[in-house]
Amino acid sequence: MSPVLGIAGYVLREAASRKFIMAFMIGLTLVLAVVALGMRIDVIDGALAASRLFGQEVRATIQSVDVALRPVYRAAAFIVFYGGILFGIVACSDFAPSLMSPGRIEHLLALPIQRWHLLAGTFLGVMTLALGGTLYGTTGLVLIFGVKTGYWTVGPLVAGLMACVGFAAVYAVMLTMATLVRSAALCAAAGFAVLVGGIIAGHRQDIAKAFEEGVSRSLFQAVTLVLPRLSALAEAAGDMAASLPLEVRSLGTLLVGVFVFGMAALVVGFWRFEGKDY
Amino acid sequence: MEKRQKRRVWLVMAALLFVAAAVLMFAGQGEEPAPPPLEVDFPRRMRSADRERAERRRTQVLPMLGAADSGTVAERPRPRDPLLAALPRGEGKTAVIIEANALRHSPIGGLLMDCLMRDGGKQLAEFREKSGVDPLQDLDRLVITDEGMMLSGNFENARFKELLGERVSADYGEGARVYEAGENSVTRPDGTTVKRRDSSAIATWNNQLLVVGKSPDEVKAAIDRVEGRGPDEPPAISESSTYGEMYGVLSVEMIARLIPPEQAALAQRLRDVAKNVELHLDASSDVALVAEVRGPSANDVTDLGKSLGAALSLARIKAQAGEDKDLAQLLDFAKVKPDGDSFTLEMAVPLEVIRERLAICREDRQNAEKALSSGKEPQETGVEQAPVPVR
Repeated sequence: MSPVLGIAGYVLREAASRKFIMAFMIGLTLVLAVVALGMRIDVIDGALAASRLFGQEVRATIQSVDVALRPVYRAAAFIVFYGGILFGIVACSDFAPSLMSPGRIEHLLALPIQRWHLLAGTFLGVMTLALGGTLYGTTGLVLIFGVKTGYWTVGPLVAGLMACVGFAAVYAVMLTMATLVRSAALCAAAGFAVLVGGIIAGHRQDIAKAFEEGVSRSLFQAVTLVLPRLSALAEAAGDMAASLPLEVRSLGTLLVGVFVFGMAALVVGFWRFEGKDY
Repeated sequence: MEKRQKRRVWLVMAALLFVAAAVLMFAGQGEEPAPPPLEVDFPRRMRSADRERAERRRTQVLPMLGAADSGTVAERPRPRDPLLAALPRGEGKTAVIIEANALRHSPIGGLLMDCLMRDGGKQLAEFREKSGVDPLQDLDRLVITDEGMMLSGNFENARFKELLGERVSADYGEGARVYEAGENSVTRPDGTTVKRRDSSAIATWNNQLLVVGKSPDEVKAAIDRVEGRGPDEPPAISESSTYGEMYGVLSVEMIARLIPPEQAALAQRLRDVAKNVELHLDASSDVALVAEVRGPSANDVTDLGKSLGAALSLARIKAQAGEDKDLAQLLDFAKVKPDGDSFTLEMAVPLEVIRERLAICREDRQNAEKALSSGKEPQETGVEQAPVPVR
């Protein structure tokens, strides 16, 4: 396991040296600071009575603070889920291709580690990065609203963790793509494709009705059966963040399913990487 | 060779994982469509159906008086709704209109009918036979005021004489008949008849209106308002406010009395700050209530709104802590919207919650109907009463 951790550490050091990632963390901190300093919320006996952003009234309705914060947390969960995956695709698309670049890969392959350790370590490093960023953002949001309103919930944090599982499935495909073609652009394209496919897969029942009954519908259903159901996971994350009843039948099973898809894609990468000549 | 075998293991493992992922995701998300989110349509303004209904009710045309008196061509008065014309005039009055017919045909109406007819409809049939009035067909609206109540509908087949006993009656105005206080025969459940003194006065108008008041003067005043002899002030409820299945204005005093004793300070604050409360209840799907509280001071009204919002929030927290899910669900939709010198309070009860609560009525009704059809006397269920518009 230690070689995997070693590679993960290497990826994290690589990430820390990148201005793009640093800029994202600074941007996230600024957004949280703006919300913390610019937002004034009046809570009376558990009811959100008024809220102002930079002196401008943004909400005139008086209702229970947890009910009033539902749309805020739900919107935050969607931003974290889709925004996080999109940012992750862009920011992490060249990690694997640069790791496999000529000169560097030979050096890594010369190390006393197995080939799959390299991919697993890269995957673990990127996921640690995604988890850290998500927890930083969602914990900041929960802390700010918790201190300002007195309403504490772990919903947004759990939603953030669910977003990480979604990203795991996407990044595993990107990593596998890097073993096929050493191109950051193609890795990002593969990530986008999985994201779009995942959104479609989550709504497969509704979309399937648009296809004529027969081969085309069956083909669509067969393809989307395997794709990670990212939109369903995003909806569940939104419900979880807003403390609303879940629409999915079993969240745990869905989460494990999406994660197992990621592992399957990663294993394809292992298979390809083991047979590749450098 | 060993490397090739190892690669094959990876491939088999990937295939197995993909299959497992597909099965897990299929089972986790479920293939049945998600239920639509719980949304409540609050009655905030008149909808086209309400406008059409109000239009249909403008049936009364007052005679033109100006032309004969002054020799000039008088403007033809607009047709109006006689029931709205009969309502009390001036501020601080209570008048709540229940759209009995619309409510009867709403989803909640069906549930209420089950409760009302837990005896299998026996009492209702008796009332129908005795009075000539079928409350389910002939009654359109019911109004509750400070002075009594009014009913509108089609009372052409009503046998007022039998219903109103030995009361003294006299014609009044152009189309009304007033029944003054008198003795009334009441049949007891054991079949014996007793005479009771009834102090209320009743007036009928054109077989469309039935006015019940505390005194003959009160019912006569209502008839005067209908026939255009009343004060010039606008009625307690304007036509533009006739939306929902129940609507009207409530005096602040009456609302304050409805607030539980542990919220006495809030009740007093309401008395001090608010001038009147207009409410609208929609029962076309879920039961949604909008109450608009108005007062002379914008600041005081806003503070009152905040206090009310806080009280509702506290009640919701208590309901959640006490695991009273229904109440918590009811208060989930509760919100207060301040708007200058007024604020609106919105509350809703999802239809499913009411359906669950009233399910027992349906069972009782079905059992009673079965018993009646098999010739047995249905068992007493406790809270049954046919709607009796006239005492």
